[in-house]
Amino acid sequence: MNTVLWIIFLPIIIFIIGTFMLGYSRKFIARIERRYGPPIQQVFYDIFKLMNKKTNISHGWMHDIAILMLLGGTLLTLYFIPVPGFHFFAQYGDMLVIMYILLIPALGMALGVGETANPNGSIGISRALMMLAGYDIPFFLTFIGMAMLNQTTSMYELINIQQAGGFFGWGLITNPLLGVAALIALQGMLGEKPFEVMVAPHEIATGPMTEMGGKYLGIMMIQHAIAVVVELTIYINLFLGGALNWFEYIIKLFVLFTVLLSVNAVFGRFRTDDAVRFMWKIPLPMAVIGVLFIIF
Amino acid sequence: MSIVSGLLLIALAGVILNVLFYKSKIVQKYVSLLLFAVLAYLSFNMYKQVGSHFSIPFLIAGQSIGFTITWLNYYFALMITGITLLTAIFSLKYMEGKEGIVHYYTVLFMKTFGMLGVILSSDLITFFVFWEIMSWSTFSLMSTGGKEAPKSALKYFIFAVTASMILMVGVVLSYSLFGSFDFAVIHSKIDSLSLPMTGFLLSIFIVSFSIESAVFPMHSWLPEGYSNTFTTFTAYLTGISTRIGIYGIILFLFGIFGIQTVDKLVILGKINFRYIFGVFAALTMIIPTFTALYQHDAKKLIAWHSVGQGGYMLIGLASANALGISGGILHIINYLTYQVLIVFAIASVEYRTGTTNLNKLGGLIKKMPVSYLALLFGIIGLAGLPPMNGFVSKWFIYKALIMSGYPFLAIAAVIGTIGTILSVYKLIHNMFLGQLPERYNDIKEVSFSMQLPMWILMIVVFGLGVYPGLAMGLIAKIQTSLGLAVVPYSLHGIASGSGQLNMLVITALFMGGLAVAWIIYLLGSRRKHVNQYNNYAGGHFLNKDVAYNFNYEFYAAIEHVIDPYRKKIIERTERGIIGLVDAVSEYVRRIYTGMINTYAIYILTAFVITIIFLKELI
Repeated sequence: MNTVLWIIFLPIIIFIIGTFMLGYSRKFIARIERRYGPPIQQVFYDIFKLMNKKTNISHGWMHDIAILMLLGGTLLTLYFIPVPGFHFFAQYGDMLVIMYILLIPALGMALGVGETANPNGSIGISRALMMLAGYDIPFFLTFIGMAMLNQTTSMYELINIQQAGGFFGWGLITNPLLGVAALIALQGMLGEKPFEVMVAPHEIATGPMTEMGGKYLGIMMIQHAIAVVVELTIYINLFLGGALNWFEYIIKLFVLFTVLLSVNAVFGRFRTDDAVRFMWKIPLPMAVIGVLFIIF
Repeated sequence: MSIVSGLLLIALAGVILNVLFYKSKIVQKYVSLLLFAVLAYLSFNMYKQVGSHFSIPFLIAGQSIGFTITWLNYYFALMITGITLLTAIFSLKYMEGKEGIVHYYTVLFMKTFGMLGVILSSDLITFFVFWEIMSWSTFSLMSTGGKEAPKSALKYFIFAVTASMILMVGVVLSYSLFGSFDFAVIHSKIDSLSLPMTGFLLSIFIVSFSIESAVFPMHSWLPEGYSNTFTTFTAYLTGISTRIGIYGIILFLFGIFGIQTVDKLVILGKINFRYIFGVFAALTMIIPTFTALYQHDAKKLIAWHSVGQGGYMLIGLASANALGISGGILHIINYLTYQVLIVFAIASVEYRTGTTNLNKLGGLIKKMPVSYLALLFGIIGLAGLPPMNGFVSKWFIYKALIMSGYPFLAIAAVIGTIGTILSVYKLIHNMFLGQLPERYNDIKEVSFSMQLPMWILMIVVFGLGVYPGLAMGLIAKIQTSLGLAVVPYSLHGIASGSGQLNMLVITALFMGGLAVAWIIYLLGSRRKHVNQYNNYAGGHFLNKDVAYNFNYEFYAAIEHVIDPYRKKIIERTERGIIGLVDAVSEYVRRIYTGMINTYAIYILTAFVITIIFLKELI
């Protein structure tokens, strides 16, 4: 019974946290730029407005299915990630599964954007995939290192092992090289500046979002809110020792997000090839050295 | 009559019928199709006779030779005959009215005959003879269909002859060492061999099979050879032909030499024979996959993946733990299904548009939805994303590599997967998504006989993804028969242990997620479909005269990043090898002076040396 309640309410809770985090990010950036910024619940208003639009333009059936794959795939990922109090599905799929189901929404999105027949969208997807090649390799290597060190690929067991060691059992403390490498990769995974090439509003008219409007854009915003929490939670579970209760969890989410946002606020945008080169030249060697430390 | 002789005789009968009645359309189409169906039926029933032996009624060097049915060759026979049948069904319409149809079915039967012989043989002589038949028919398959085909087939021919000669050395050497050709006899005597000799003999066989299965430095014949022929042959060749080399590797590594013997071949610490093999497999995964990014031709792109995916199977085998080996073996059938599915989709597009050039296609999803769906299922499998079958075997392989402590081989597998995702998106985007060129406005979906094989393969790709246990049962039997540990599998994945896998739960949750998303989607007001010219263009108006598409140089930025490495490493190495060969040939050439006197001296010297040697021998 408890599990059923969790299954029903987890997406709603995460969605609410996610929208507040996005609202917080807009406010945070605005304050750094000495603007007042929108109210923190602005993202709710935006989603509500978009879902109520009368005209919804679609370019074909793949465009419709893509938006379902986007949200459905993200919800799927959400269930496999252990959060405080709920890890029922962690026994059916480990971290390897999570890393690959994270790509389902991306693929769905890519196919839908392709069908909109807008070159801005295609360029955005092409850039997003190239960025994937950039950040995913170091991120995966840090995960492989953690899995080898603890002899498990299950995320839930990784949390337990870290929590048994207290603060000094955190992955970031025991393996600082892996932790920092993964943090840089996470910046790319979330698409925050300087790794923002796929959206790039001033160059390619927001890339994948170009032909999305109305409820399509609304669902994309819902998905974005959930995906931000999901990706941050993966990092928290791997390197920050997970969380024992929801209070600690939300604190960790906001602290981690603030760190990433502070980088986001002061950087410009890297060119795609520079971003990929950066990912292969800084975090990747760090991760390699970190793994070598684990082997020897 | 045993099933083995039935299989081989029917395949041979197909060759003869097609040669005799080379003008008859009925033989070409329906008799051939019937024979392929019978072959598939017979090989499916082979499980009833597992373990039985069939001798050829004559002796070679005083030894009986023949065929045996094992679980391993049952697995391969199923794949060979199944995919041949699907190819034949697909070819009914595809080859209609094409020029090459005269020899088409002859070489197809010949190839099937050769492959069945190779996998069923129980001794080195039979193995070698059928290996030769198989190589020759691969050459014939490659040299049909297109202007460029004979040239690239010749390239394969050089590689294949080299492989056969190396294999021949291995056969002769084993006979002189063991006094027998029989696999079982060799297996029982392998422990008596000294370690350097074991290493040498194993290397000979592995190198020979690596050429056939296109392992990294020996892969260069494959992409052109496979992509210049008929697209149905591309499907057939990429699907199964290359994987016969993997059959050889599995048979010799685990069946004949045994993993205990192989593990004795240690060079330094953790670096042993398997590890070196694994490094080559890792290079096979990475380099061809990223080369695929550069391709502008759909067939060539997928042919490069045919090289790259072989690396996953080999790296699984090289990990040598139960999970990795079963992953490697499972990947063979998974690869077969999605790869053939992708090539069939490409063939359908080629059939309708007449081109496979990725820069000239686009937007075909509106016209050919079934082919699009086939390609979509195929690429999700190839990229290794859930819930398709490619994910399951790749998951086995990643997990095996991480758990047995090979982090860098594991990351190589991940890099390969990422390269695959990039290049397959380019494939599907440039063919089916984006703007539809005006000249393709009247295109229709392909006919039912071409759709049928695609539907069957789509069901298999999805079915094996959700129920990997269907194939795992057979693989567990193979592992037991080879004396290996078995993975505790269930119908939906891995049964026990931490971090287990349950594909049914994943798929069900995904469907649930889709349903929730659909409900949210329905909350909004109804959508309206618009045409492709009703699009954002920064204030400009679009019509059919405005090219508004992005598919040329799709991954230019990452090519900028990779190019320096590619130039530095690969091109310099190639240039070095060319220089070396040039220098050596220059010296060799000097032997041929062109003067009759020198040749006379050569002959005389050879004669004298022969006499001296003969004298000593006698």
